[in-house]
Amino acid sequence: MKHFWVQQRITFLVFTVISLLILAGCYLFSITLSKTSFASGTILLLCIFFLASYQLRKKISFLPLGSSAAWLRFHIFIGFLSFVVFALHSRLQIPNGLLEVILFLTYYIVFLSGIFGWFLSRTIPYRLLSRGEEVLFERIPMHRNKIHDRVKTLIFDDAQPEQGAALPDFYHKHLQEFFEGPRHQISHILHSERHLHQLKQKISALQPFLDEQEQVRLQQIAEQIQLKDDLDYQYIFQAIIKLWLFVHVPLTYSLIIFSLYHALAACAFASTSG
Amino acid sequence: MSEPSISRPRRWDKPFSLEPGSEDEMTDTAVEILLGKPPFSEIDPAGFKRSLPLHDIIKNDARIIGFDDGDIVVRRGDWGNSAFFILSGNVRVGLERGKPTLPDEILGRHDNKVKTLWESFAQLWRNHSVPEVRKLDSVFSKSELKTRHAHNSTRIYLQEVSAVLDKYHTARLDAGHWFGELAALGRTSRVATVFSEGVSQLLEIRWQGIRDILRHDQNGKLKQYIEDAFRERALAAFLRTTPLFHDCQPELMQRIVDQVEFHTFGNYDSPKPFKDLIENQDHTTEGGEPVIIREGDYPSGIVMIRSGLARISQRHYNGRRTVGYLSPGQIFGLDEIRAEVQSLTPVGCSTQLSAIGHLNAVLVPTALVEELLKQNGSVGAADLHEVKTHVSDSGSNSVKINDDTLLSQLVDQNFVQGTSLMVIDLERCTRCDDCVRACSTAHDNNPRFIRHGPILNQYMVPNSCLHCVDPICMIECPTGAIFRDFAQGDIIINEQTCIGCAQCASNCPFDAIRMVDIRDSKGNIIVDSKTRSPLTQATKCDLCIDQKGGPACERACPHDALFRVDMQDAAQVGEAFSR
Ligand code: SF4
Ligand code: SF4
Repeated sequence: MKHFWVQQRITFLVFTVISLLILAGCYLFSITLSKTSFASGTILLLCIFFLASYQLRKKISFLPLGSSAAWLRFHIFIGFLSFVVFALHSRLQIPNGLLEVILFLTYYIVFLSGIFGWFLSRTIPYRLLSRGEEVLFERIPMHRNKIHDRVKTLIFDDAQPEQGAALPDFYHKHLQEFFEGPRHQISHILHSERHLHQLKQKISALQPFLDEQEQVRLQQIAEQIQLKDDLDYQYIFQAIIKLWLFVHVPLTYSLIIFSLYHALAACAFASTSG
Repeated sequence: MSEPSISRPRRWDKPFSLEPGSEDEMTDTAVEILLGKPPFSEIDPAGFKRSLPLHDIIKNDARIIGFDDGDIVVRRGDWGNSAFFILSGNVRVGLERGKPTLPDEILGRHDNKVKTLWESFAQLWRNHSVPEVRKLDSVFSKSELKTRHAHNSTRIYLQEVSAVLDKYHTARLDAGHWFGELAALGRTSRVATVFSEGVSQLLEIRWQGIRDILRHDQNGKLKQYIEDAFRERALAAFLRTTPLFHDCQPELMQRIVDQVEFHTFGNYDSPKPFKDLIENQDHTTEGGEPVIIREGDYPSGIVMIRSGLARISQRHYNGRRTVGYLSPGQIFGLDEIRAEVQSLTPVGCSTQLSAIGHLNAVLVPTALVEELLKQNGSVGAADLHEVKTHVSDSGSNSVKINDDTLLSQLVDQNFVQGTSLMVIDLERCTRCDDCVRACSTAHDNNPRFIRHGPILNQYMVPNSCLHCVDPICMIECPTGAIFRDFAQGDIIINEQTCIGCAQCASNCPFDAIRMVDIRDSKGNIIVDSKTRSPLTQATKCDLCIDQKGGPACERACPHDALFRVDMQDAAQVGEAFSR
C-alpha cells in the first residue's frame, strides 16, 4: 500500500513537471511570435494517437509489449496530459466554427467519459463483490430464467386442485413483471433497496391470508426474489462497465477522424489562419 | 457434411519404443532376454494382472537406446518422466560436491519452441474460427539444439568428455545400475546430469511402467532398491538444498545420511485422497489427514518434506486453525530443537504437522540436529535470529500469510499445490474479460479458462490449471500424453498422444481439464472410424508455452487484478496476497 502511494506521488510530480515544461515551452515559443497552435496541435494529435493505440494493444496481448495494466496507467497519464495541451491549444475558449465545436465537444466527451470509466473501474468491483453471486454477464439471462421457472413451479405446477388463487393472483399482480427481466436499475445504481423492501411488505401483508402450505411456498418465493434482485444488481453494474466502453471507444475513433481533418485544414490554410 | 474419421487410439497403441528418440521397436525376443536377466528375473510375474502382464509392460513402456561418448541422457533440473537401467557400458553422473557442477551452457539448455514475432502476430487472422481444430498428421517438431544426430535421434552431447571429467566431479555408474527412478517416481526434477562415457546401451522405462511394476512386484526388491538409492545418491544433495545443512561437515553429513528415516503418508498413486479432501469440508486431521507430529509432542527430529505438502495447524478453541504449510524442501521442528538446545529442557511443538494427500518426508533425528546446530554455532540468541532470517530468505521456512482464514481456505482446497496458481482479485477486476480474450487469441480461438471458480475472500481462483507440484492428473494417463515440459516443469498435454480417455480430467480435483470434440480444419467433427462417435481430447491451460512472453491472461488484465503465484515460494505468496 505504501508502495502504491509513493508511486502515485511520483506520477503526480512527473505530471506537474511535464505540464509546466509544456506551458513554459509554449510561452517561450509564443514570445518569438511563432504560432504555438501548430506545436500544441501536433503534441495533442500525438497524444490522441497514443491514447487510441491502447485499444489496439489490447488485441495483441499475446505479444510481450508490457502489461496492459502498465499501458492503462500510461494511458491515464497521457489522457490528463492531453487535457493540459488541449486547454492550451483551445485557449480554454469555445471555438466558433462548426467542425471546431464538434471537435471540442467530442474531445470533452471522450475525456470526461475516460474519467468516468476510471471512476467506474475503481468502484464497481467493490459493488459487485458486495451483493449476490459472481455470475458471468452472458449467463445472467439464463440464471434469471431459471429463477423465474422455479417461481412459476412454486406457484402453478404444484397447485392442488383445491388450492386457492392467492398465490397466482399475487404473482400476476406483483411478481410476473419483476421476474421477466432486469428491473429497478436506477435503484440499484443508487444503492437503494426500497423496491425490495416494498415487495417484502406486500408479502408480509399477504401472509395472514394463506394456509400453512402456501406460507411455506411464499417463503421460498421470497428467497427467489432476493436471488433475482441480487442478479439484477450484478447485471446493471456489469452492463454499465461494458456500456461505458461503447461510448469511450467509438468516440475516440471519431475524435481521430475530426482531428485529422482539422489538422489538414489548419495546414492547408496555415498562411491565412492565426 | 463429410466426416473425417480415424480409429480411436488406445493405451499402448504407441509403444514407448515408437516415440521420437527411439531406435528400434521393442521386440518380444528383446523382452524375453531382459526378463531372463536380473533385476527383471527377480520380479515375480505371477503377481501381475492378465490384462497387464510384466512382459507387455516391458514391451510397451520400455525401450532400448544406445548412447555415444558424451551424449547427455538426463539433465539436472529437467522433470523426470522415466527411469533408466544400464544394460551395457557406463554413464557418468554429475556431482556437485567439491567441484563446480556442469554449467547449463554445456548442457545445451534451450528455450521452448516459441512462436516467432510474425507467427504470434499472424494468430490474429490465422486462428481458426471453428473450435478445437487439430492437425492429426502433424508430428512433433524436432528441437533445434546444438546437437548431433545419432542412433536415430538428436542428442545433446558434451564435446570433450575427458576435459569435463577433469574439471567436474562425476561418479561412474556401470551396467546393472538404475538411475533416474527417483525423479520419475517422486515426480520431481532430476537432481543430476547423466551422460554416457563411451558407448552405452540403456533401457528406459516410462514412469507408468515402473509404477505398474512396483504395484504388482510381490518381492518388493525394486522398492527397496529405490529407497537405498535415494539414501546413497540423492539424500545429501537434497538435504543441502536447505541452508541449515549448507555448512555441514562431511563426517556429520555422512552420519545424518545413514540415520535419516524415510516416511511416506497417503497413497502414492491414487488421486482419491485429494478428491476426498476437497469434497470433505471438515479438513481437520480427524477428517483424514495423517498427523506427522502432534501439537505438544517433543519432536524426535526435524521433518523435511521431499515431495507433497504438509499443513501446520494449531488448536483454536475446540478446533484446529491452519497457520501455514510446508512444500518440498521446507522443514518443521527446527525451532523447538533449537530452543531445547538453548534451554537444555525438551520443548514441545506449538503447532501440529499433518500430510495433505501423498507426502514423502525425511526425518533427521534430534541428536544429529543438535549436533548440527552446535557445529553451525547458531545456538546463541544473536545467531538464532541470523539463522532464522537466513532460512526464511531462502524460502525454507513455512509459507504463511497474514490472513488466517484465507490461508486455511487455500490449504483446505489444495490450491497450495499450484506452482502457477491463477488468482483474480475481485476488488480490482472489472469483469471486462480481456484476460479470457487474450487466452483465446493465444490458443487458436479456444480459451483455456473462463472467469469462474471458487471465491476465497475477495480472490477468485478460476478453474484453470494450477500446474501442481504433484500433478495427479498425470497419474493415470495411460499414454503419458500429459507430461511435464522438459525445460520449465509446466504440465502440458501432447495432442499427438492424447487418446481422449478423460482420466486426467476426472483425476484433476480442480476441474482444470476439459474434454473437447476435435475437428479438422474444415470444422468437421472427427469421428472414430469404428464406433462413429466423436473423438475427444483433453485441453487445459498450458501457460502459453509457445507464446512470446508467457501467459497472455496476466499481461492482458488492465487492472492488475489477475496474477499467478507459485504457492511453493513463501516470499511470493506473502507478497501476492498482501498487495
Ligand atoms: S490439470 Fe489439474 S491436477 Fe493437473 S496440474 Fe493442472 S490443476 Fe493440477
Ligand atoms: S482482464 Fe482483469 S479486470 Fe478484466 S476480467 Fe480479467 S481479471 Fe478481471
